[in-house]
Amino acid sequence: MVNTIEKDVPNRYYARLNRKFVLITAICSLLPLLAVGWIIKLRYSGFAESRMVEIFRSQAEHHRQIIELFLKERSSGLQLLAQTHSLDYLRQKENLQQVFETLNGEYQECFTDLGIIDVRGRHVTYVGPYRLDDRNYAQARWFKRVMEKGVYISDMFLGFRKVPHFVVAVLRRQGDSDWVLRATIDTEAFRALVEQVKIGRSGEVYLRNPVGVFQTSPRFSGKIMEPSGKAPGPVHADIQVRVHDTGAAKQIVAQAWLDQPRWLLTVRQDYAEAFYDVNHTNFAMLVLLHISALTILLVSFFTARHMIKVIRKRDQDAEGLNQQLIQASKLASIGELSAGVAHEINNPLAIIMTERQILLDMAQHEPQGDSAFMEQVFRSLSQVQTQLQRCKRITQNLLRFSRRTKSVIEEFDLNGFLTELAELMEREAGSSGIKFSLELDPDLPLISSDLSQLQQVFLNLITNAIDAHETKPYGNIRVRTHSDDQNKMVVITVSDTGTGIRPEHLDKVFDPFFTTKAVGKGTGLGLSLCHSMVKRLGGTIAIDSEPGEGTKFRIELPEKIEPNEEVPT
Amino acid sequence: MRLAPKILLVDDEEIFTENMSRLLATRGYLVKSVNNGAGAIAALEEEKFDVMVLDLKMPGMDGITTLKEAQKLGLHTQTLILTGHGSVDTAIEAMKFGAYDYLTKPCEIDELVEKIEGAWKKKSKADQDDLDEKVKQAIESPRSALSFFKKKKK
Repeated sequence: MVNTIEKDVPNRYYARLNRKFVLITAICSLLPLLAVGWIIKLRYSGFAESRMVEIFRSQAEHHRQIIELFLKERSSGLQLLAQTHSLDYLRQKENLQQVFETLNGEYQECFTDLGIIDVRGRHVTYVGPYRLDDRNYAQARWFKRVMEKGVYISDMFLGFRKVPHFVVAVLRRQGDSDWVLRATIDTEAFRALVEQVKIGRSGEVYLRNPVGVFQTSPRFSGKIMEPSGKAPGPVHADIQVRVHDTGAAKQIVAQAWLDQPRWLLTVRQDYAEAFYDVNHTNFAMLVLLHISALTILLVSFFTARHMIKVIRKRDQDAEGLNQQLIQASKLASIGELSAGVAHEINNPLAIIMTERQILLDMAQHEPQGDSAFMEQVFRSLSQVQTQLQRCKRITQNLLRFSRRTKSVIEEFDLNGFLTELAELMEREAGSSGIKFSLELDPDLPLISSDLSQLQQVFLNLITNAIDAHETKPYGNIRVRTHSDDQNKMVVITVSDTGTGIRPEHLDKVFDPFFTTKAVGKGTGLGLSLCHSMVKRLGGTIAIDSEPGEGTKFRIELPEKIEPNEEVPT
Repeated sequence: MRLAPKILLVDDEEIFTENMSRLLATRGYLVKSVNNGAGAIAALEEEKFDVMVLDLKMPGMDGITTLKEAQKLGLHTQTLILTGHGSVDTAIEAMKFGAYDYLTKPCEIDELVEKIEGAWKKKSKADQDDLDEKVKQAIESPRSALSFFKKKKK
């Protein structure tokens, strides 16, 4: 329970750290990126739209100029004709015919007919395909207008051939007999001028008169002479460009009024098409922007994860070091304490020992008295002696544990030493059915170390190994050596097939006074002594154990140790 | 039959010195015990001892200081360090200052006797060497020998 809580807290901590990393990276890089991206997008859109509007405005202006130029040319031609010829000359039909032909030669056959009308509205002469010679136009609206203004251009109308036409009429003032030169213009050339303008796929250009009747065929929205269904609105001098949103389709529309005749030029295109490039660029930029943002997010996410992993690893290492430090300081303080205790106990022990000796001396010199009593005295004194020895062993172990003994460093053959030791121990364990096996590396170098301390270490380890077989009828103790040339170390492993050590005890076995043996059987100092001695000799000791399977100690010792290199414990 | 070796026992634990005196006395030693360093120096100045058994940790003058002071007296008395303290280092240091050997408390009486015998032998030999030297000198230079005897009389 406690364990899970302790493990959860760091996990939460790392998760929080992770979130912080990601959040900070995101805020510091994503927000500015997105902000800049969107600001550029909006500014660019606005700029592009105003540019587009300008383009439409100039397009409308351009078309208006072309159309007006066309009409001006025709009316100027007619005016020139009227000014340079007299009524008397043109009254002759063959003369008018000649002029008509010349005119058509000059203006690409665009005149359908030509007629002279006198001041009373009578058709004086007519050249053309129709029979209009005796028409009277006195009441016609165009006639009144031309008499007023001198020049008149009509709206489109369907002539007798059911082809759209319009009329251009000019007035010639000749003393008191004014006359009018009237021409019908075949609109094919004119309409081509307007209708064949192609703006993209959806763009169209058309003309309407003030009541909304098409004067040219729009590309999509109707036919010439049909009503557009909508009045163009009031006349204005400038060019108006607006974005027209009908819901179904969004269009950009430029409108300009022609002066003579009063026609409304409309240039329009689907908004989507007009702004295709802009929108396309915008879209590409936004996609790029968001891909970058996503990349940054992903990178920061993975970077954070990696960093957390590294930090976690470092933390674990630090925690491991911390544990070692705690263990070391624990051992050191226990060492100090036990030295004090040992000393305090040694003095009374010394006194008890002398007291016993006195009693023993006296008992030995006493003449034979009550033999049963004497026997008990000797038995008791012997037991006192045994227990004194036991106490002495404990205090000496305690002292050895804490003592900074000056070691005697000498060079010796570790293999030979271990062989001797194993033989000795095998004799001792002889009856217990425990076999010793030695796997010694023949290439092991001579090592420089403290033989007596190592003897203590291996005696302890082997004694423990033998004890571990108490509940088993037989077993095996294996001692192996090999050299680690790279690190100039020798490695000795002592493994047994005994009862093993339970996992929860593994981290305590090197603690002083920790023992699982029965009271009186062990002091719990053996392994902690081994630990401090190996440390002092510049080595390490590690344990690995499987309950029921056995235990393995692994000791690494430096090949050489200088006396002053000893590590104080 | 030999002359009983004279032992000076220095330990702050009175019961210990008392018991030890008794044990050593039964084993044929002449024992005097004192309970501090100052007492030990005073005793050494007063009479001759073959072996001093010295505790290291004592209130007042400690074992090492006592040893140093005793060395200053220029005697042949051998010092045996008996320490209940864990510091074998200190015992070894004491040996550098001329102590004969060391024992850790608690120790068997037999062990102690063995060491005392060793110390006594060394002391006797030192005495003998000294005497031999003097005899030799006396033979080689009678005048100096004379001065030795004069001093002795004094």
